[in-house]
Amino acid sequence: MTAHEQLEHLALLAEVDDLTDRLSRWIDDCPDWQTAHRARALLKRLLERVHTLRFRLETPLVVATFGGTGTGKSSLVNALVGREVTTVGRERPTTTTPILLVHPDIEPEALELDLSAFNVKRVDAPVLRDIVVIDCPDPDTSETSATGSNLAILREIVPHCDVLLYTSTQQKYKNARVIDELIDVASGCRLVFVQTHAELDSDIRDDWKKFLSSDYEVPEMFFVDSVKALQEQQGDHRPSGDFGRLLDLLSSQLGAARRVEIRRANLIDLLQEALAHCRSDYDANLPKVQELIETLEQQRVRLKETLTGQLCDELLVNRTLWERRLLSSVTDMWGFSPFSAVLRLYNGLGAFIASFTFFRARTSAQMALIGAVQGARWVKSRAKENEAESTLERLSTFGINDQQLQESRLVISGHIHTAGIDYAMSDDRRDLSELRRQAAALEGEFLGDAGRAVDEVIEELAAASGGWLTRVWYEVLFLAYIVFLLGRVGYNFFWSSFLGPIVSGSNSHEPLLEVDFYIPALIFLVIWSGFLVTTFTWGLRRGLTSRIQKFAQSMAESRLLHGLFPNLEETCRYVVRDDQQLTTLLDQTTSFRRHIADPSVGFLGGRREEPAES
Amino acid sequence: MFVARTNPRVGTDRKTSLRMTSGSESTEFQDIASATRRLYDVVQTLQDKAEFLQPAALDGQEWFELLRQKLVPQLGEDPWLVAAVVGGTNIGKSVTFNHLAGSQASATSPLASGTKHPVCLVPSGFSERHDLQAVFPDFALHEWTAAGSALEESDEHNLYWQTSPDLPSTLLVLDTPDIDSDARVNWVRADAVRRSADVLIAVLTQQKYNDAAVKEFFRKAGAEDKAVLVVFNQCLLPDDEQYWPVWLNTFCSETGIQPDAVYLAPADRRAAEALELPFYERPWPVHTGWGPDSVGVNSSPRNLNQDLSRLKFREIRIRTLRGSLKQVLDTTDGVPRHLKQLRLASDELATASKRLSSDAVLKIRDWPSPPNASFVEEIRIWWKARQQGWAKKINTFYDTVGTGITWPFKKARNAIQGEPVPPIDKYREAEWSAILTTVEELFDKLQWMAESGNRMIKPQVEAVLQASTRTQLIQTLKKHHASVDFDAELKSMIATEMASFSEDSPQLFEFYRQLHNVSAAVRPMTSVVLFSLGMGPAGEAVAPLVAGAAANAVVHVVADVAGGTTAAVAGEAALSTVAGQGSGMLQAWFHRLHTVFTQCRVDWLTNLIREELLGNLPEQMQAAANLPSSSEYQEVTAAVDQLAELIQLVADTPASVAALNDDSTVSGVNADSTTDGIVAEDTAATLPIQRNATQESTES
Repeated sequence: MTAHEQLEHLALLAEVDDLTDRLSRWIDDCPDWQTAHRARALLKRLLERVHTLRFRLETPLVVATFGGTGTGKSSLVNALVGREVTTVGRERPTTTTPILLVHPDIEPEALELDLSAFNVKRVDAPVLRDIVVIDCPDPDTSETSATGSNLAILREIVPHCDVLLYTSTQQKYKNARVIDELIDVASGCRLVFVQTHAELDSDIRDDWKKFLSSDYEVPEMFFVDSVKALQEQQGDHRPSGDFGRLLDLLSSQLGAARRVEIRRANLIDLLQEALAHCRSDYDANLPKVQELIETLEQQRVRLKETLTGQLCDELLVNRTLWERRLLSSVTDMWGFSPFSAVLRLYNGLGAFIASFTFFRARTSAQMALIGAVQGARWVKSRAKENEAESTLERLSTFGINDQQLQESRLVISGHIHTAGIDYAMSDDRRDLSELRRQAAALEGEFLGDAGRAVDEVIEELAAASGGWLTRVWYEVLFLAYIVFLLGRVGYNFFWSSFLGPIVSGSNSHEPLLEVDFYIPALIFLVIWSGFLVTTFTWGLRRGLTSRIQKFAQSMAESRLLHGLFPNLEETCRYVVRDDQQLTTLLDQTTSFRRHIADPSVGFLGGRREEPAES
Repeated sequence: MFVARTNPRVGTDRKTSLRMTSGSESTEFQDIASATRRLYDVVQTLQDKAEFLQPAALDGQEWFELLRQKLVPQLGEDPWLVAAVVGGTNIGKSVTFNHLAGSQASATSPLASGTKHPVCLVPSGFSERHDLQAVFPDFALHEWTAAGSALEESDEHNLYWQTSPDLPSTLLVLDTPDIDSDARVNWVRADAVRRSADVLIAVLTQQKYNDAAVKEFFRKAGAEDKAVLVVFNQCLLPDDEQYWPVWLNTFCSETGIQPDAVYLAPADRRAAEALELPFYERPWPVHTGWGPDSVGVNSSPRNLNQDLSRLKFREIRIRTLRGSLKQVLDTTDGVPRHLKQLRLASDELATASKRLSSDAVLKIRDWPSPPNASFVEEIRIWWKARQQGWAKKINTFYDTVGTGITWPFKKARNAIQGEPVPPIDKYREAEWSAILTTVEELFDKLQWMAESGNRMIKPQVEAVLQASTRTQLIQTLKKHHASVDFDAELKSMIATEMASFSEDSPQLFEFYRQLHNVSAAVRPMTSVVLFSLGMGPAGEAVAPLVAGAAANAVVHVVADVAGGTTAAVAGEAALSTVAGQGSGMLQAWFHRLHTVFTQCRVDWLTNLIREELLGNLPEQMQAAANLPSSSEYQEVTAAVDQLAELIQLVADTPASVAALNDDSTVSGVNADSTTDGIVAEDTAATLPIQRNATQESTES
């Protein structure tokens, strides 16, 4: 082996290691899903086998015969080694104890086979230099696989084999039992297809190949006459025809140089098949998980709708609160001015009165809107305080009641059951506290968003109805009365009762204005301010309804980050991720298999990765 | 040559058999025919009935297929014999068949599993006399046109038939698909032919005589007591002369078949294609040390067709029909086994149901207590309607005044606290909670049942457990629950209860006086019985119980009430300690009201759940658990017994044998076969149904 070849060899080994490492990591990282557990259990078993296989990488390849009784397995083995080492018979079945043929230079102990189960024969034949050959019992005379039956013995041996010499005859090539058994054993083995009894039978290789090609890669088939080949060998002739070719290929192609390659190809076959099996299992069960995910999403949407609907209803009902928030917002914006002072006074009085009726905010919506007296900052801090204080109470007013939680749980647990997810709902049926906590958190999140949105709406409305023109207009109207009143009082005080008579010299002092002037003046002041305030607030109210609806829509469009079952949602996401990982692994293995285990090379066949179109 | 096989019974029972057959056998066969048909019918009825137990499907069970494919069509008036060439794939079945037919009736090919559909040779006139379709109920019949059509693959079971003038008028000969290739549909077809056959021409080779598939097939044939002619094909003669007795010995001991004749055919492809394959007859059993030298010099090939025609039709006929009937009635493989399995399944289900009916009772502890305020209100109304004269006027006056005075206070309260929620609405909400809890617990129970239940209950329950059904159920329940008129329910309940109360109690007024003071907070605990199978204690657990602590609360609140009526109202021994006092009476009365109302509601829920979720699952389970005592089961048992009795009557007709030939070209004819011949003649005279066959065989 040149240095370059060695490097290539090592690179391939490293790639296999990498793949098995990735598989091990995937196995350790398992979501609580029954299908995933099943898949892991399967792969775990397989990986164990992979590890033992790695130790065997340097031992000779194990080549075994496989085929129905009477198809000439023993004759073939005899002809291969050129002497009669195993009994050939006309009675069926002939071989019941498997025979292991080993070259004297090879230590059979290194093969990791249970040697007590074999009849071990040391034969110095050229074909055995690099391989050991097992003559197996048949799979088709036993009706059951009871211990000690030929079938049971065969099944013990096959997992240890690297290459199977699959023999068949004109009579037996479509035998169902043999075919069924082959399907089970073929993954993890290279196959050599041999039609025997060439001396008696017609050549059916084309039909046989057609028959096998849906499940197997069949690069080449041999049509041999073992009896003649044995005679030729014994007569020190090189066997002629197909048998000669078969013998050559076995000696040259299964040598030490190809060992690692063949074993690795077998290994990748096994892995790929196991992964494909897991894949189909996932495909069968994943829709149920997806249904669960769908349901969780639906519930989230429903929760959101409930919350939004409830909030909007309350916002619409609590018009006075809106007004106060708006008024305070407008006054904040205007700063100090006569009319804004009036507005503030009105707002403060309203809050004062309201605080008698409502000792505290009864709903979240009210809480979000209440009390502009001390300014927006105060509202926020107060809202926080209230939030912590009565989450549970708010929940019931907000439409997420226990029944709804219970319904959700009932439906979800059904889905969990169908999907086969190991997720423990709380043990005590009546214990809703966990769900309530989740619902409260959910609502907290929602209200946080809502609060911000309400603030925005208020700012916007305030800006719209508290514009410069409106402000001047109302200030002027209000001041007009004040100016008139001051003018009237000033005229009386300075002129008509004092300076006027002095200047004109008349004695007719008008009397100073008295209480019966001031009382109506004040009354009219109140009426005038009342009128102005009412008009102003009426103006504020305009467009409120449509604005609230718009707000509801924007709330509904936003997404809740999680629903009532955050852990479950996490598990579902985990499952989806796991599914994607499996696909990646399978893809990698498949392409790897195509890359290094290309069965079209040489004469070795194997199972197809997927059944071909027939 | 073939040595006639003697049934050990034949010798001892011969006399009785002669007596039996002399006058009554034809009617016996008719009885058997009708009894078989009856069995066939009732078994199917039972199968429908036993659906819940998921019994093994009848189709595919050997005994049932025998009934359908062999006994029901063939136990008719006019007998015939069916001979079929059977064996593994690519060993020369069609070649053998063509030799029988004397032409290339069935296509041959060097490739395996060529023949996909049976080909049948029918004697001339047979198809006019018989309905071929009834003879082969599982096949779609086509008249033979070309040899190739039997090779075509199709999902339908076809059978190609051709008239052959050479055949005896009551002999049908078939070529069959293989029994061991990967085309499993071929096996099904071969099995169907095997069942209707009386004579099997078993083609074997040294490669296949010990194959598992072959052994399985012929073991069944052996159990049905078919006549079997063994043909060892592709022999390497004379080398294999020493091996075939070993092969046949293995074959016979594995399958239990006693071949009626044995032939060897050499591996000679050219002769096979030219329809000139020689079939050499060999005796069986042979002496030890049989070899090429044991064969006589004058051993010449035999004409299979002629040998077949010389079979003793009547004996074979009776033998195979009886063999099939025996299989049908066999305790380990036949109807009795099926019945036993049904009974076992039923018992298993009954045990499981018993456990379920005691465990699957839901105990609901927090069913909401019905609103006392509403009770009191309803009772007031009821009472008012029954007041008369001045009392009514005074009461109405006080009521009006009372309403007038309290009006502003109510208004003020409503303004501050909002409209009070009517108590019945509160109850509705609480009840919905309880319903949800119940449903949740129900699903838990069902899940537990699905997990711990047996294989019959599990799939049924799993179907109920589907996630989508839960959503549906909740929606349906919600809809129904929202449409319940609690006021009306309460009203009618109070009316009934008060009516009975007023009859029992003269101190009604005292009761009414105390009513205002009552504010009982009782929580009725009740049970929802879902699987009342009449097996467990479930039936008694229905009555709701009232928690003790809550009951005491009532006692404290309620003042003394005129006693004396307690016992009549309460009627519950548990409350007798306080029953002597008036408070006890009132408490008991309220318990009763609560109980009755709660029970009403729980019943409503139970019915709804049953209707919407469980369907008739409980009833089905009960019926299935009681299957062995059902009339259908009894009928099958009766039919089996009847048939067994009838068979006993004809059981001792000679069970052997196909006397192939009376000419002694081959040595080894023993005395027994001649005796058989005599018996055959004796009985033939008394048996109109078999006379034809016998005559035919002699004529040919």
